[in-house]
Amino acid sequence: MNGTKSPQDWMNDWQQLQSQYWNAWSDATRGTVQPPAASTPWQEGLEQWSKMFGGVSKQNDIAERLMSSAKNYVAVMQSMLSAATGKMPTGFAVPNWSDALRNGFNMPGMDAAFRNNPFAKIFGEMRGPNVQGFGNLSENFAPFLNQMKQEGLSWLHAPAFGFAREHQEQYQKMAAAFIELQEAIGKYNAIMLKSSQRSFEIFESKLGEHDEPGRQIDSMRALYDLWIDAAEEAYAEIALSDEFRKVYGDVVNSQMRVRQHIQQQVEKMGSDFGMPTRTELNSVHKRLHELRREVRNGRSAETSKEIEELREEVRELKRSMAERNKPAPASIEKRARPPRAAAAARVAKPVERIQATRSQKKRPNRTKVAKRRPAAERAKPRSASIHAPLSFAEAIKAMRRTVENKTAKRKKSAAAMMSVAVKTSHVIKRKRRNRARSR
Amino acid sequence: MDPIRIDPRRAMEEATKFNQKLIAGLKTLRTLDDVEYGTTDREEIYREDKLVLYRFKGVNKPTSKVPLLIVYALVNRPYMVDLQDDRSLVKHLLALGEDVYIIDWGYPDQSDRYLTLDDYINGYIKRCVDVVAKRHKVEKINLLGICQGGSFSLCFASIYPQKVEHLIAMVTPVDFHTKDNMLSHWTRGIDVDLFVDTLGNVPADLMNWCYLTLKPMRLFQQKYIGLVDILDDKVELENFLRMEKWIFDSPDQAGEAFRQFIKDFYQGNKLIEGGLRIGDKDVDLKNITMPVLNIFAEQDQLVPPSASRPLQKVIGTDDYTELAFKGGHIGIYVSGRAQREVPSAIHDWLGKR
Repeated sequence: MNGTKSPQDWMNDWQQLQSQYWNAWSDATRGTVQPPAASTPWQEGLEQWSKMFGGVSKQNDIAERLMSSAKNYVAVMQSMLSAATGKMPTGFAVPNWSDALRNGFNMPGMDAAFRNNPFAKIFGEMRGPNVQGFGNLSENFAPFLNQMKQEGLSWLHAPAFGFAREHQEQYQKMAAAFIELQEAIGKYNAIMLKSSQRSFEIFESKLGEHDEPGRQIDSMRALYDLWIDAAEEAYAEIALSDEFRKVYGDVVNSQMRVRQHIQQQVEKMGSDFGMPTRTELNSVHKRLHELRREVRNGRSAETSKEIEELREEVRELKRSMAERNKPAPASIEKRARPPRAAAAARVAKPVERIQATRSQKKRPNRTKVAKRRPAAERAKPRSASIHAPLSFAEAIKAMRRTVENKTAKRKKSAAAMMSVAVKTSHVIKRKRRNRARSR
Repeated sequence: MDPIRIDPRRAMEEATKFNQKLIAGLKTLRTLDDVEYGTTDREEIYREDKLVLYRFKGVNKPTSKVPLLIVYALVNRPYMVDLQDDRSLVKHLLALGEDVYIIDWGYPDQSDRYLTLDDYINGYIKRCVDVVAKRHKVEKINLLGICQGGSFSLCFASIYPQKVEHLIAMVTPVDFHTKDNMLSHWTRGIDVDLFVDTLGNVPADLMNWCYLTLKPMRLFQQKYIGLVDILDDKVELENFLRMEKWIFDSPDQAGEAFRQFIKDFYQGNKLIEGGLRIGDKDVDLKNITMPVLNIFAEQDQLVPPSASRPLQKVIGTDDYTELAFKGGHIGIYVSGRAQREVPSAIHDWLGKR
């Protein structure tokens, strides 16, 4: 950095620094990765190391994302450091930091489509169980598409005819949709390239803001962060443009068309093999959902009304019960009045009728007993289930009890009749036996 | 003067340290198990289909007489409001005496594909509000809507103003057509009918990819380089992992509801421009006559402040308060500043009314 270095000195320095890096790397990995040739790209070390130690764990996703970012970072570091090492030697111009940055992203062996296009590269790396982009589908079918392109696209538009006409037409449409998708992705990558180029311009401009003493960038990390700011700014400019909206929409829409064609083919195959298809399942789900809504709406309109009516009846019943249970003089004349429950039963629906019927049945007994019971005892309700104010749930229970009692009585009487019948048959048999013996 | 003054030897040290930290940290990372989240005790109150309504239990009994129901977005899991012990909006609200409920929408599957916004708003939310109101023997409850859940809450409060005492909208999009709204800009080029007809439910991983591409370099590069700095700090690392888990723990989106949300909100901007119908009910934000607190984040790229702020102009109440939080869409729940400022702001605002 003294400004007197020759290119050879710079080369030697850089070679030395690279060796130093790999020695440090070897130390960090405790010798598991032997130092390679000094000029080896730094990200290679991470690549090898992750292959050796990349086991299965709960945090694999994060580890993979971390390694992917780290590879980019060390590659950029290596390129920028190379530029920094050669800075200001005799015969060297002030380094072009943007070029150095660009070279950092142009890793050896990477897809040519990503060259000078860090955005497309990063998007290509955004994969994983929880992250899946639009491009994957097209890539999976890329060999098929390329072959199709080589054969020429003319057959795609040839008229279909004959026995397999429908199938041929389907395949043609599907192939056309694939081509359309690949073109859309091509345009998307092109606009990402534009975004990348713009990011380098903004990076240069941001660097310009740091050329005063005290504001200079003195660490690799600060340089990297500056690049990220520039990249995001450039991306936002492009992503909010009308051109991007169109390109983005075309990628999404064309991918959906391809998916639809694939789904149709899969459905056809599934149907041929007698398997249930997505269309059939959708149909079932839709019907089920409509039914569910119908039931729910029905419940909230008609059933709610019915429940409200029942509640009103119960309230009426409670009122009548409460009035009836008011302490009254133990005069026979008064008790002989027509019971209120019976009056309520005139307008009553099933729940009340049961209550009212109970009251009517019990009333004469109560009147009889009242004659013999002391006045204090008479004032008490005889049965809580009848006289206490009832809740809706209690009224329902009362209904159930009545039905159960009736059923039990019916069963009992049937059993009694059966028993009589059996006994009678025994008696008849015995008499017949006796008669036979006496003969 | 050259803007870069990097000493190669120091830069080499920097690179070496980075590698050392990375290697040591990755080993630690691989030994870590899944992280826990959602620390506040809660009880199930109501369940319907995949939805569960929970009531959070605080250390002390709530002092607030009107319960607060949190309506979260469909696109992420609601435990963001109760991520961990020292990052919990819920915990702080409980400590201040609020009685907090939350709707957990669950994970829709293909059988939920035909759920509509009518089902969500006039169905699920309405029934949850009724359940909470009935439990507390009140006619109105407080509603706290977050993000998409905030838009839903605005719709609900407009349709059923008689059921909402106070409305709090957090990072809620109201105007979907502001110039800085990237997500909205993109959706307007998409044929959403083709999209939903093809996909059925919208897969969570596609949604995640879409969110990451809002800030690709920051969210897919810089964030993980920053992670290397904290790899040797177990607590910080677990915090990072918890957040990471939340970000990618996204439910699929019920197809029909997604279709309607994109068409009417993102593409049609009907929430603010009018003409929005949820089921057989019109949504008119002028019906929102209860007090409204609008909280938004100044550095929010998902719901920019410009998308939230217009609420004031379109609602029918003069009792409107705005709180601009210094942070982002997620920081508003989990940052240290959020813990200090947001719950107390909500509680104080409610207390004054």
